[in-house]
Amino acid sequence: MNALPRIFASPLARRLAAEKGLDLASLAGSGPHGRIVKADVESAKAKPVPSAPISGQAEAIPNTTLRKTIAKRLTESKQTIPHFYLSVDLDIDQLLDLREKLNQRAEGFKLSVNDFVIKASAKALRQIPAANASWTEDATLRYADVDIAVAVAAPGGLVTPIIRKADTKTVAQISAEMKALAEKARAGKLMPEDYQGGGFTISNLGMYGIKSFSAIINPPQACILAVGAGEKRPVVKGDQLGIATLCTVTLSVDHRAVDGVVGAEFLAAFKKLIEDPLGLLL
Amino acid sequence: MSDTSFDLIVIGAGPGGYVAAIRAAQLGMKACVVEKAHLGGICLNWGCIPTKALLRSAEVFRLMQHADSFGLASPNPAFDLAKVVARSRAVAAQLQAGVKHLLKKNKVTVVEGHGKLAGKGKVAVDNGPTLTAPHIIIATGARARVIPGLEPDGDLVWTYKEAMTPKGFPKSLIVVGSGAIGIEFASFYQALGCQVTVIEMMDRVLPVEDEEISALARKAFEQQDMKILTSASVKGLKKDKDQVTVSVEAGGKTSEIVAQRVLVAVGVSPNIENLGLEESGVKLEKGRINTDAMMRTNVPGIYAIGDVTAPPWLAHKASHEGVICVEAIKGLNPHALHPRSIPGCTYAHPQVASVGLTEKMAREAGHEVKVGRFPAMGNGKAIALGETEGLVKTIFDAKSGELLGAHMIGPEVTEMIQGYCIARTLETTEAELMQTVFPHPTVSEMMHEAVLDAWGRAIHF
Ligand SMILES: Cc1cc2nc3c(=O)[nH]c(=O)nc-3n(C[C@H](O)[C@H](O)[C@H](O)COP(=O)(O)OP(=O)(O)OC[C@H]3O[C@@H](n4cnc5c(N)ncnc54)[C@H](O)[C@@H]3O)c2cc1C
Repeated sequence: MNALPRIFASPLARRLAAEKGLDLASLAGSGPHGRIVKADVESAKAKPVPSAPISGQAEAIPNTTLRKTIAKRLTESKQTIPHFYLSVDLDIDQLLDLREKLNQRAEGFKLSVNDFVIKASAKALRQIPAANASWTEDATLRYADVDIAVAVAAPGGLVTPIIRKADTKTVAQISAEMKALAEKARAGKLMPEDYQGGGFTISNLGMYGIKSFSAIINPPQACILAVGAGEKRPVVKGDQLGIATLCTVTLSVDHRAVDGVVGAEFLAAFKKLIEDPLGLLL
Repeated sequence: MSDTSFDLIVIGAGPGGYVAAIRAAQLGMKACVVEKAHLGGICLNWGCIPTKALLRSAEVFRLMQHADSFGLASPNPAFDLAKVVARSRAVAAQLQAGVKHLLKKNKVTVVEGHGKLAGKGKVAVDNGPTLTAPHIIIATGARARVIPGLEPDGDLVWTYKEAMTPKGFPKSLIVVGSGAIGIEFASFYQALGCQVTVIEMMDRVLPVEDEEISALARKAFEQQDMKILTSASVKGLKKDKDQVTVSVEAGGKTSEIVAQRVLVAVGVSPNIENLGLEESGVKLEKGRINTDAMMRTNVPGIYAIGDVTAPPWLAHKASHEGVICVEAIKGLNPHALHPRSIPGCTYAHPQVASVGLTEKMAREAGHEVKVGRFPAMGNGKAIALGETEGLVKTIFDAKSGELLGAHMIGPEVTEMIQGYCIARTLETTEAELMQTVFPHPTVSEMMHEAVLDAWGRAIHF
């Protein structure tokens, strides 16, 4: 009757393994007749549990609290949020032009493409407020303010400091604020008020030459915009083959809070703002 | 192979040595033990066994004195010291003969005489042949520790040997040291009507036991009119013709106690002398032989087990080490002895038995603990026996349910502690112990209740 082979393990070993989430079948027993005892569970706990054997030697880098928080939140996000993805190409030649001119004229600041992306996202969210939202069991929350979180690489992991009320700030203000936050993040000096909250996240890997990617939603937010690199690509303009600097962005959306149409409307508004960038200066 | 060449030679035939030799023979090795005094070592001849025989006489005597309470008559109970001692010696002799028979049955060669390492793979025996073997186990045991100013003289100042074979019964006795040996003799002499004073340096009697058990033991002994001085040290000794005066310092005050005899029971000194250890390069530490978990010394081919190695100094520890040592030599990959799984027993009245961590140790080790207690007063069998002085105490890890320690005082607890030892060896949790059916009525039901109590579920209290 008993189809499964019995695993010989002491009651204490069984309990400790269950507590640690270890599969007894994966352990080798050192007790009499190969019985799994407490010591076996404890030594298994000390080792990382790889799903496949590790080849060669491995260095064990202890997980920091930040690393563990990231792991926990992203796993939860990917496992519990039904993600869908929308991509669109942006023509950024005009934006680059404008940026160039502003930077030549400006004193004391240098605007980045990302500063414009933040501003454009903020304005687009104001236009399509349904994308500035969070899913909860009882209600879908729609935020009054447009607070944009921006992913920044910090020592030991990713952090997302926030530009609050970004729709009300000028690109120059956003740029200055972003610079300060990024510096703080790299120095590991962000305060909770710098990164807690936010209704929408931007993750930009353009500076690393990434063409396009899909980001994992930063819960409890409903949308995250993944920005790729601006690059010259052949384009068809009015039946003519031409060259333009294009940038692909991908919006990851929590389908529970935001439907496909809302996501598409947001991206359309965003695209319009980026491709006609003078509006961003208003 | 000639008559002097073996697979294994064991020096010393105590419970460590003779058991090692028998296990080796079982595994097909040609084994030899060298013994200079008696087969069975201290344990059988001057330790565990003869003391238990004496204590049995004390127990019967105590029962005779209380015959009335059982509805029996035993007018003027009396004892004949010579016969009590003779019985104890007869028990030892019987068991010694038993060991001789066992060794013979297992074809272990017994060589009489003092053995000594004599170069690689060689053991020289005084007035005898030089023996050879690739593996040599040192199992020479230990003797009573002597402290300056309290040197035994075989007459007024005793070691356990004189205490075990007294020529006359002392009216009063001072026992220095309240470990198991000291307390057992104190209990024996007190039971037969001697005025006993125990002097202990630590702040409690039976200092290795759980503090609560120590306190209960002290209370019970004091109710029997035993005098106990703790945090006390002996400062001097004056001998007269048939009595001694001991000056004791306790709490900053020095007082003098007069008694007919003094028993010094302050631990043991390993027998490491005249064994050729230095010449062989065997490493010592604190006057005892250093070994690894498989009882190997630092010198290949030389092993050490029992009292000549690290504490606890107990017969069952010596025997287990003998088995582990031999099995490792045979490449059987035996399990190392876990020091916290070695039970300790004191056969006084009341008896004390324990295994594992004390409550204090468990807390200090960082465990979140659950402690269960059950008193003998709540146990039907204990009441029927007329032995209601006692307590069973269990200490569990609150999270994993591991039985960290068990401590008992009261009737038959030395027989019962093995139940908790098995539980620990099998790594049971409180669940299996709760699930176990204990027979009724038995004193052992206290063990069950003490487990239940740790989870607030004791039924009879
Ligand atoms: C009074 C008393 C009561 C005790 N009660 C208990 C008890 O209740 N329970 C318990 O567990 N333990 C008890 N013990 C402790 C127990 O007796 C020892 O732990 C045990 O005997 C140790 O065994 P062993 O084999 O290591 O050494 P031993 O029993 O000491 O045996 C060593 C043997 O080696 C021999 N020997 C030594 N040197 C040489 C040599 N060079 N050549 C040849 N032979 C040699 C000795 O003659 C001896 O026979 C008691 C001890 C005493 C003194």
